[in-house]
Amino acid sequence: MSHVNAVSFAILAVSFLSVTLIGFAAARWRPAEDPMQLNEWGLGGRGFGTFISWFLLGGDLYTAYTFIAVPALVYATGAAGFYALSYTIMVFPIVFLFGPRLWSVARARGYVTPGEFVRGRYGSQGLGLAVTLTGILATMPYIALQLVGIESVLAVMGLGTSSGNAFVANLPLVIAFVILAGYTYLAGLRAPALIAFVKDAFIYVTVIVAIIYIPSRLGGWAHIFGAASAHLKSVNPATGKPFGSLVVLPSGEWAYATLALGSALALFIYPHAVTGVLAARRRDVIRRNAAMLPAYTLVLGLIALLGYMARATPAVNAGVAAGGGDAQLSVPLLFQHMFPSWMAGIGYSAIVIGALVPAAIMSIAAANLFTRNIYKELFRPHATQAQETRVAQLASLVMKVGALGFALELNRTFSINLQLLGGIWILQTFPAVVISLYTRWFHRFALIIGWAVGIAYGTIEAYRTPGGGQQHFGASIAPVFGHTTYIAITAVLVNLVVAVGLTLVFHAVRLRDGYDHTRPADYSADAAPPVVAAARGTVSAAP
Amino acid sequence: MAQPAPPDSRPIVRGVVTVLLLVAIGGALVVPIYARSRPKLGDFPFFYWYQLAWVPVVAIACGLCYILLRTKPARVDASTNGGEVQQ
Repeated sequence: MSHVNAVSFAILAVSFLSVTLIGFAAARWRPAEDPMQLNEWGLGGRGFGTFISWFLLGGDLYTAYTFIAVPALVYATGAAGFYALSYTIMVFPIVFLFGPRLWSVARARGYVTPGEFVRGRYGSQGLGLAVTLTGILATMPYIALQLVGIESVLAVMGLGTSSGNAFVANLPLVIAFVILAGYTYLAGLRAPALIAFVKDAFIYVTVIVAIIYIPSRLGGWAHIFGAASAHLKSVNPATGKPFGSLVVLPSGEWAYATLALGSALALFIYPHAVTGVLAARRRDVIRRNAAMLPAYTLVLGLIALLGYMARATPAVNAGVAAGGGDAQLSVPLLFQHMFPSWMAGIGYSAIVIGALVPAAIMSIAAANLFTRNIYKELFRPHATQAQETRVAQLASLVMKVGALGFALELNRTFSINLQLLGGIWILQTFPAVVISLYTRWFHRFALIIGWAVGIAYGTIEAYRTPGGGQQHFGASIAPVFGHTTYIAITAVLVNLVVAVGLTLVFHAVRLRDGYDHTRPADYSADAAPPVVAAARGTVSAAP
Repeated sequence: MAQPAPPDSRPIVRGVVTVLLLVAIGGALVVPIYARSRPKLGDFPFFYWYQLAWVPVVAIACGLCYILLRTKPARVDASTNGGEVQQ
């Protein structure tokens, strides 16, 4: 793998450069009257309509995780990996339900982060901080996952990782991230919103070509499913059981369903997804996008099938074995062996740019959280808008360095488990963030204690679960009462039971509760405050 | 405030929307529905083509719910006076 293909490399380099230019140019796109406001840097001025929101959310939610880890899981375990399809089907009806309420209350009260909403809803600094820390902690491995995506492309191209020197090996990744950090710092959310258009062009072209061209070269779908099935039925020497199955077995149905449901419930409370939702111009934009975003789900389903195509390609299997059995290499290797080098270059670009967009949005979302819920809440309650924006810009840099550390230090064989660990944590904020959109019944201390118990339970369970050659954090599913269940679901149920029980107790002993800063009308409010509406209205009312 | 009741508050609309969204979620959540290999569509086992086919079903369900919940009178206002409505 030491030989670098010049054509593929040239195409990747040109697309990376174009995206860099677009990223920096985005600072001048839809210019704000006063760019030094967190609304502007962190939410793109809260002015994105249906069209831009579609690209932004699509670019945000369907990440390098999609392109690398999902087919890798399908490549390794078969049908079980398709839970990602089921999960991204369920997520849209779910966001349809609560997305508009969250958007409305955030618009009415000027909230930029989910932490601020919880802080305002319960008048509780502690609960706001809990949600904030969880968000930042869960986002870090998610950004790292994007880096792992870039890494596997670079590895297949023979860049970097073939060098024995650790510094040289990581250099391309570090350079890519420094540039990403540069335009995110300058342009804020406008940069990923604009780059998302390019990202999607690359992804749609790659997927359509792959799904038509590769099966014809491999002898059709019958051969692909046949080869996959033959592999999955064979016995894994490490476990003494088959590698997987072509259709989920009855014993695996519960794990499949809970993984899909847990991931779907978690997705839209991730800070970066909330950022995408809050950047919408109107309440209706979110519902309309819930109907239009499933187009990406279809693409995800097709991408998952790339895992089987990789399995049916002997050269890919040899390459994965040569790479130490790293299934993450399967899709880049598939492109390398099946596509002419220029098309492989486009495929690599799709993955790399597909990693940059969400990484940018995630670091912005985490920076918003830090600024509003830690810096302003604890250190500078009277910070000006300009100070807030400056702090957020710096925080986005720190997040990226942290994620780089995460990516370079941790085991990368199953990067999907990193994200699933983040999912376990983030789902523990579901009662405080989502259920609170509907009811203020819970007591703030009960929610905090429930959250702490859920996080502790989930982390310990994940720690105790071996798998993938590791003793700890090997998988995110564990048996509960005889059913193998996604740990996040079990943990959030424990969390809810504690929160409900303690709320009853605290209400009974009349423990003082916090002040609710929101009003019922906030949850169905639409349109912008008059000033913003006037500025944006001229655009939306144009024929 | 002098608006006709927004669609969110009409019980029939709310009921229909809830059912549509629950069916959309259920079709993916209830795994035994599709954890089988037959009937095949072309060379695709049922497990795969069902899930891919369920995607547009969910999109249409969400689209219908969007249309049902749309605040019509306000949208007419929105196009004439620049979105400054619906307080």
